Amino acid sequence: MSCYIIGAGAALPERVVANAELAPLLGVTADWIESGSGIRERRWVTAEQSTSDLAVAAVHDALSRAGMRAEKIDYLIGCTLSPDYQVPGVAPLVQRKLAGCRPIPAVDLRVGCAAILYSLQLARGLIESGSAGTVACFGAEAQSKGLDLSPHSAELSMLFGDGAGALIVSGDANQNRDWFDLRVEDVLLASDGDFAEDLIVRSPGTGNGARWLSSEQLVAGLHYGFMNGRNVILHAVRKLAEAAVEITERNGLGLDEIDLVIPHQANANLLSALSRKLSLSRERIISNVDRFGNTGGASAFIALWQAYREERLQPGAAVLIVAFAAGFTWGAALCRVTTDRSS
Amino acid sequence: MTLPDSIMAFLNEAALQSRTRVPDRDASLFLSGVLDSFSLVDFVTVIESECGIKVEDADLRPENFDTISRVEAFIARATLAK
Repeated sequence: MSCYIIGAGAALPERVVANAELAPLLGVTADWIESGSGIRERRWVTAEQSTSDLAVAAVHDALSRAGMRAEKIDYLIGCTLSPDYQVPGVAPLVQRKLAGCRPIPAVDLRVGCAAILYSLQLARGLIESGSAGTVACFGAEAQSKGLDLSPHSAELSMLFGDGAGALIVSGDANQNRDWFDLRVEDVLLASDGDFAEDLIVRSPGTGNGARWLSSEQLVAGLHYGFMNGRNVILHAVRKLAEAAVEITERNGLGLDEIDLVIPHQANANLLSALSRKLSLSRERIISNVDRFGNTGGASAFIALWQAYREERLQPGAAVLIVAFAAGFTWGAALCRVTTDRSS
Repeated sequence: MTLPDSIMAFLNEAALQSRTRVPDRDASLFLSGVLDSFSLVDFVTVIESECGIKVEDADLRPENFDTISRVEAFIARATLAK
């Protein structure tokens, strides 16, 4: 049975935070941020906006693109590392806010920046097993609310932006002539927990002693993210490249037959390193990190939406989605733009 | 062992681009500005291709490539293990 992405949507906060605004807080210059990351600006939510607000707007947008109403959704898969609350997950909140959505299963996946890949694999499994006909997947982040805006965390806090992206995945190809479906042909996923501490937010958590949140942990800043940047970049480029090669080879393709690469938008310099490693021109790699920063679990969703908006999803095109995340976990998905129509 | 010419050539070129010099064999290539997080990726690729070795995931740590002497020691170990 085939499985198709029949719509993509996105939602970005209106507030633009340029490097010039952020740099003084972090004790660096705007140029330093741009040269180290390729980021010129990012979007941040207001105090009143939450992750679920962005997610609902993105799912609405994706439904509109698919020509579908929320009543049709059978399953909701939500991904975030910046949830509205610790409990419950963000997916049930989106189910509540999504007008017309039935009392369907709604599950959170805590897979960081690999959100789109895990979402697609699970959506595909649900559809192929007959458990669902239409699955809405989203990645949404309001990470700005959790950043350490001090010079101590400049290398990490300069990166992150807020936003959401969503996909509607179905066993039936769409009837909407405005959108070319992407047939999901393969998904490859892997993890290596040996590097779990290289990219981590420790608190709140039960690995921190007697209490999962304490004043001592807050004073130590364990609720802020920590990244061993060099190690993350070193492994990210290697694993992204290996995943790209493996998934294309096992589907009888060469990398030269990939028309478009949609990566997690970690850092523009990382995307350039990946481009060199795979001998792929940057023109074939979708990038928006300069405008939106690293939007975590939302970033590849937003990049796919961008590819649609820029009319880069042309019939027959082979599209490779790649992502690397805390864990470490990483992978790739191979899709084909199709004009299949359900009978 | 000493580093192959091709690997030294990579470091010399990286130093040139960073407007610095390749430091003494026990001085940090990162602190000297020769390597950064992104050129390290290319450096490891060059080491693998020029020395015919595969840097295993467990060994893929920046500290193994921080100084010329550490790189030499790493290559010697990896070559023996082939």
